[in-house]
Amino acid sequence: MFRRLLLLQVVVTAMLGFVGAAVAADHSNSLEVAAKVDASLLAELPSDAAKPMQKIGDEEFLRRAFLDIIGHIPSPEEVTAFTLNPASDKRAKTVEKLLADERFGENWGRYYRDVIMYRKTEDRAEIVSGQLEDYLKKEFNTNASWAKVATEMVTATGDGTENGACALIIAQQGQPEEVVSEVSRIFLGVQIQCAQCHDHPTDRWKREQFHELAAFFPRTASRLILTPDRRDISVVAQDTFMFRGRPGMANRRFVGTAEHYMSDLKNPTDKGKLMTPVFFATGDKLPLGTKDADRRGSLAKWMTEQENPYFAKAFVNRLWSELNGEGFYEPVDDIGPDRACTAPKTLEYLAKEFGKTNYDIKWLFRTITATSLYNAPSAPRRNPDQAPMQNNVAQRLRGDQLFDNLLNALGVSEPQPPGGMGARGGLYGRRFTPRGNFNTVFGYDPSERRDEVAGSIPQALVFMNGANVNAGIRASGRTALAKMMSQIKDDQALVTEIYLRVLAREPSGKEMSTCLAYVKKVDNRNEAFEDLQWSLINSTEFLHRK
Amino acid sequence: MSLHLQSNITISRRGLVRRRDFLRLVTAGAAAGGLVSWQDVMAESAPLLRKQGMACILLWMQGGPSQFDTFSPKPGHANGGETKAIATSATGVEISENLPHTAKVMDKVALIRSMNSKEGAHPRASFLMHTGYLPTASVKYPTLGSIVAHEIGDHQFDLPSFVRIGGRGPGQTDTAGLLGVDFDPFAMQTQEVGRLPQNTALTTTDPRYLRRLGLLKDLEADYASSGGKQEVADHQKVYAKAASMVRSPKMSGFDLSKEPQKMQDLYGSTPFGKSCLLARRLVETGVTFVEVSLGNWDTHQDNAERTKDLCGQFDQPYAALLTDLAERGILDKTLVIWTGEFGRTPRINPRAGRDHYPRAFNMTLAGGGVKGGQVIGKTDSGGDSVTDRPVGISDLFQTICHSLHIDPTKENMSSIGRPIKIVDGGAVVKEVF
Repeated sequence: MFRRLLLLQVVVTAMLGFVGAAVAADHSNSLEVAAKVDASLLAELPSDAAKPMQKIGDEEFLRRAFLDIIGHIPSPEEVTAFTLNPASDKRAKTVEKLLADERFGENWGRYYRDVIMYRKTEDRAEIVSGQLEDYLKKEFNTNASWAKVATEMVTATGDGTENGACALIIAQQGQPEEVVSEVSRIFLGVQIQCAQCHDHPTDRWKREQFHELAAFFPRTASRLILTPDRRDISVVAQDTFMFRGRPGMANRRFVGTAEHYMSDLKNPTDKGKLMTPVFFATGDKLPLGTKDADRRGSLAKWMTEQENPYFAKAFVNRLWSELNGEGFYEPVDDIGPDRACTAPKTLEYLAKEFGKTNYDIKWLFRTITATSLYNAPSAPRRNPDQAPMQNNVAQRLRGDQLFDNLLNALGVSEPQPPGGMGARGGLYGRRFTPRGNFNTVFGYDPSERRDEVAGSIPQALVFMNGANVNAGIRASGRTALAKMMSQIKDDQALVTEIYLRVLAREPSGKEMSTCLAYVKKVDNRNEAFEDLQWSLINSTEFLHRK
Repeated sequence: MSLHLQSNITISRRGLVRRRDFLRLVTAGAAAGGLVSWQDVMAESAPLLRKQGMACILLWMQGGPSQFDTFSPKPGHANGGETKAIATSATGVEISENLPHTAKVMDKVALIRSMNSKEGAHPRASFLMHTGYLPTASVKYPTLGSIVAHEIGDHQFDLPSFVRIGGRGPGQTDTAGLLGVDFDPFAMQTQEVGRLPQNTALTTTDPRYLRRLGLLKDLEADYASSGGKQEVADHQKVYAKAASMVRSPKMSGFDLSKEPQKMQDLYGSTPFGKSCLLARRLVETGVTFVEVSLGNWDTHQDNAERTKDLCGQFDQPYAALLTDLAERGILDKTLVIWTGEFGRTPRINPRAGRDHYPRAFNMTLAGGGVKGGQVIGKTDSGGDSVTDRPVGISDLFQTICHSLHIDPTKENMSSIGRPIKIVDGGAVVKEVF
């Protein structure tokens, strides 16, 4: 057995090394795969829905791609340059350019930070949220394999403010049941935690299987460090135990326990049943007594192997849903075997191809953005009785995207909190920045079904009455509007410029006449254009990615 | 115009219908002539007023107050420390000398001395005490204020049904959760108390404000007609509600200067005192649930001295609140809860502090049909463990539901379609009523 484990560690290490080398590899078959995905989707959808898709115009495509990939809208100059560019491959080229932009990692690092932190069961895990964001940003920007990210998160140890990969475990206080629920949900799209307390009525997972998964994590704990000069949370692992873990200790996991026990529901004070680590998806198992590093290392390896039916699909399904507005499975993190899939063969194919690239994240972006569905016109969410995946579905922007959108529209740089950013210094440094405060009001859990994410009164109040917004739209002083007004004397040109800056598009004929009529009616140029900018910032379109 | 754009029919593949799908089916089936809004559908069955006029004020003592130095003194036992007991307006009920004002209103208060749980860490215990459940990654259990706003709030009311004053700020995990953002707390900082909350004051004249809203509406037409019809309709409902809120005369509920000086004096000029006065004003205005936090009860050092100071901060406002509500005749309809997330250790530690102790602690209930002047439950002579009538967190939640006429067995759906009872297990503490 020992030999096998040793071998296994070598394999894991070798795999990590290989992943590093794979960054530069060229997976240039994106267009080919995208075309096959189009064909497969067409074949799988109901026959009356199987018709070639329309293609959106350049302005719409550009705003969509910018928001999806880097989280910002394009500048007026970028819109103009793109629409005038005659090259036939300009969309693919733009995607390539955006994937190389630093803001790509920032946008998606924040996205996955939210995936993890919106499910935290420990408020203080907020301490490590900034480091998590930085870690993910780097992984996305260096195009690390998704397998490497998953492996690092599952096997992390150390201080959360040093190693961002620790955050997933810290967010669940190192409790084995909660940690494996999240690992399974985020990386496999399987909500096995429903089996935590009872065999699930509509799922195949048994309570035993859930606890066998938890048995990969008993030796891991999350330790709060509170000394006068330091506040941190560490993921600690240990393999020697002075005394055996006893029931009732579970909520104070400053140290782990040697093995995991499944509690006896009828007799909660009993120690419960000793569980052997078994990975439900592949059936791979480890003996009792296995060291922590081998437990978590093996789980990470088995999870990310191409034989595992869930790992690639979970990521593809999530990204497809984010980019096209409708997942193969919904919600995005619930793709277990007893769930209905809109187009199983298409997902299967794309996931397999993604696996072949060793989970090359940028490859998947290139491929999905080249599909017809990504280039299709925007439509509201379909009725349940309508055919799926006929249009790209509009989605509400996440807090960070909207905040950047607002800064852009007002032409201001990111405000710093009084006393500086304190990014590393302040315990909750980033939470109390203007961006953090904005996210408190506008953020949402990105794993939720997007059409269930509703607007709120406090959000409306920020945009309607917020002091910063109203100072920013003034037509006098040093605002962007004041500058535009002094430079552009023609009202029609000014309306166009404001539309480009706020919504990254030119106004329609009807919108132009509404605006000009308004300017005339108000009979006060400053007031009228302040009102126009206010209206566009407060519009539905501003809040959405179409 | 209703604030509530959502409903609890957010259900999925397990045979039920999600809100949006339901809405679309309704819309699709309706005759031409504009969207049939969700609330139009709901309004037909929804009660127009706050259900039976019930309301609730939660006075949240963040950090875990010492039972020995608040409502359960143990003079004469080493664990009790120096704190003495005083007689109260409730015959035979003695509380700590730190609470002279409260002593005069104990005839209105039911004191539970046998609270117990297993959670000794602040975040988990606070979450448990706010939701009745332990936190999990997969289900976002709603906090008490959201539950109450959802169940008995007036869905047509101009102001938010749930206002939270102070508290732990960003990152706080107890929110409306699975009930949706409509029932999230309307959060105010303590320093905002007395004036209009942030972003609720108009930044232009009223006519210009309306003119802007008109332009916004006109400019939304194109977006609506190019596939954004539903989004625009939803957005406009939120905006109409926000606009009617900030322009509502009921906003004066936030303005403490409208209170006579005598009343301001009764509650005192401390931040907590003002917050309690605001809570009463808001409840009177029609807000269903107000949560007011008082922090710093985590007295690992110098417990006796610090707890005395903290008692000084809540004693007068608490007594004022109960007296005021009673004089206005609304105490019967307003449940006032005073509690923290746990109690503190019977032994005094070497730093003269007390540490976390969930095994036996105290809390109080008043108003809302509660029979005052009584003590429920007992601990042993040193306060180490509960010896009579233990009350668990689920029992407490059952009791709160009973007072507010909420059905605790009602189920709401989690995001993956799992039914979640308002309260899981436990039984009403009948003696309370």
